[in-house]
Amino acid sequence: MPEQSAVIPPRSETIAPVQVSVGTSFLTLARWSLASIGAMLPLIVVIQAALAAGIVIGFGFLIPGITPEGALFLASGAPTILLLTIGLVIVPQGVSRARASGELDYQRALPVSRPLLLLVDLMVWILIALPGVAIGLVVAWLRYDVAFTFDWPLLILVSILVTAMATSVGYAIAVALPAMLAQLLSQVLVFFVMLFSPITFPASQLPEWFRSLHAVLPIQPAADLLRAGVAAEAFPADGRDLLVLASWTALGLVVTFLALVRRK
Amino acid sequence: MSPDVLRIAGLTRRYGRVVANDSVSLRVRAGEVVGLLGHNGAGKTTLVSQVVGLLKPHAGEIRLGQIDAVRHPGAGRRHVALQPQSHVPIDGLSPRSAIEIAGCLRGMSARDARAAAVELAEELDIGAWLDRRALPEGGGLSGGIRRLVSFAMAVVNPPPLLILDEPTNDIDASRRRLLWEAVRRRGDTGSGVLLVTHNIAEAERIVDEVVILERGRVVAEGSTARVRGTQDDDLRLELQLPPGGADPTEESLRLPVTRRVRTGRRVLLTLAARDAASAVSWANARHGERLIDGFSLAPATLEDAYAALTAPSESSERDALPAITETADA
Repeated sequence: MPEQSAVIPPRSETIAPVQVSVGTSFLTLARWSLASIGAMLPLIVVIQAALAAGIVIGFGFLIPGITPEGALFLASGAPTILLLTIGLVIVPQGVSRARASGELDYQRALPVSRPLLLLVDLMVWILIALPGVAIGLVVAWLRYDVAFTFDWPLLILVSILVTAMATSVGYAIAVALPAMLAQLLSQVLVFFVMLFSPITFPASQLPEWFRSLHAVLPIQPAADLLRAGVAAEAFPADGRDLLVLASWTALGLVVTFLALVRRK
Repeated sequence: MSPDVLRIAGLTRRYGRVVANDSVSLRVRAGEVVGLLGHNGAGKTTLVSQVVGLLKPHAGEIRLGQIDAVRHPGAGRRHVALQPQSHVPIDGLSPRSAIEIAGCLRGMSARDARAAAVELAEELDIGAWLDRRALPEGGGLSGGIRRLVSFAMAVVNPPPLLILDEPTNDIDASRRRLLWEAVRRRGDTGSGVLLVTHNIAEAERIVDEVVILERGRVVAEGSTARVRGTQDDDLRLELQLPPGGADPTEESLRLPVTRRVRTGRRVLLTLAARDAASAVSWANARHGERLIDGFSLAPATLEDAYAALTAPSESSERDALPAITETADA
């Protein structure tokens, strides 16, 4: 019997390049990002709860005989610190790690629009960070039994905006600076946010020059707006704060966008 | 003739004063597997990074199909799937989800992507891990399984060009075999494959063309037979020299060798099959005189040619390879 041979004929039609709608790319990337960042969710909730306890209970020890007004100030500032910590510390550290390991470049080589990578991560981080607002408020309520007067639309809008601002600035730090410097800066920012920013104490306690600095940084506007969302009767919202927050968000997005699309 | 899925011409890229790619030209046709070989630092990853739009060339042209990928990197990326040498971000995902996601990003329906994940798991024999989640810090899945998943993510619903950067790292011998077959199959079904590898001995069996980079320049290219530069039945006589011993092939070699390469204490001689008997008796005699520690005779391979073309030069000034002697067939 003669030996049989098989010849695989070359395929005549050429393979087409990838054609996928923006919507499908967005949803698929969101599934990916939720799975990878979502794996950290339990850890992030624990960190947020521990931070909230540290701020609300720990800072309370520094203030002997705290008044109900003081307690409300402390309590209404806690969610801001939690959101800023996620965006300015955890996000840049994660992005720096992805950059150093080559994972960010892998994603940049995918057949998707690169700004989409940022938008998806932004959305996922907002989903992950938002429980921090509730965690901060619950801890404060348990400790001081403060009465909140919620402005729900404002609280929801501002929570999203503050997280978007912190995440986009954190992302920008991670993609624009060398990894070591980005990690160092994110550590320094924690101290700056917790100890040198008028979040858990009124801005009036700061020297004049420092007040001027905080007027243009996004930290105080974030705190004041969130405060207005949880204690609307005691703290009115200021439109200028919204403008400052939106400007910083835009700056973070532009810097990140440029870094993502740039070829070295 | 098959159309080019990748055509690179005069590609030059520098890092400061170091020229990582020096006027490199190569092409990959549809249905063809092209091996890109070279030592560490030869410029392979720099070349790949420019093709997928991570680095910008200083000069030259990259065409992916009809797309000018230097001017339109976003459109170019839609022609390429990359398996990187580094890890892919699959922590939190099972291999099944990771492959499905990669398929959907390349336009598959969720249903087709699910079926493709199962088929690839069978093809690569990773079914047992299909639903095990990869965890941070390398947990959940071993390095080899992660590498196979990243291969599967690159080849699911393949675009015109596949770039595989060291696809066999960390993978056991039996699955390496499956992987090589899978690479060849992708070529046979119409994709062009640019295969970056150090595993020349195994890759030789499945590549159509070879491009060898050395210090950023193409030093050899063509079919494996052409680059090997030998007949199919040529042999390789490998000699192991004693520590500090002189090389007995340097002065009084009475064998009709076509190529001699010295690397450390190893000397590789390429010779015709008809000279096998005289080569063995010559080597036996040298062994008896204790001029060599041992020797072996085996079929000549692409790896021998690669070793000859990339042997370290004694003088960094020279582009020629001084440790090699090429002689006319006696």
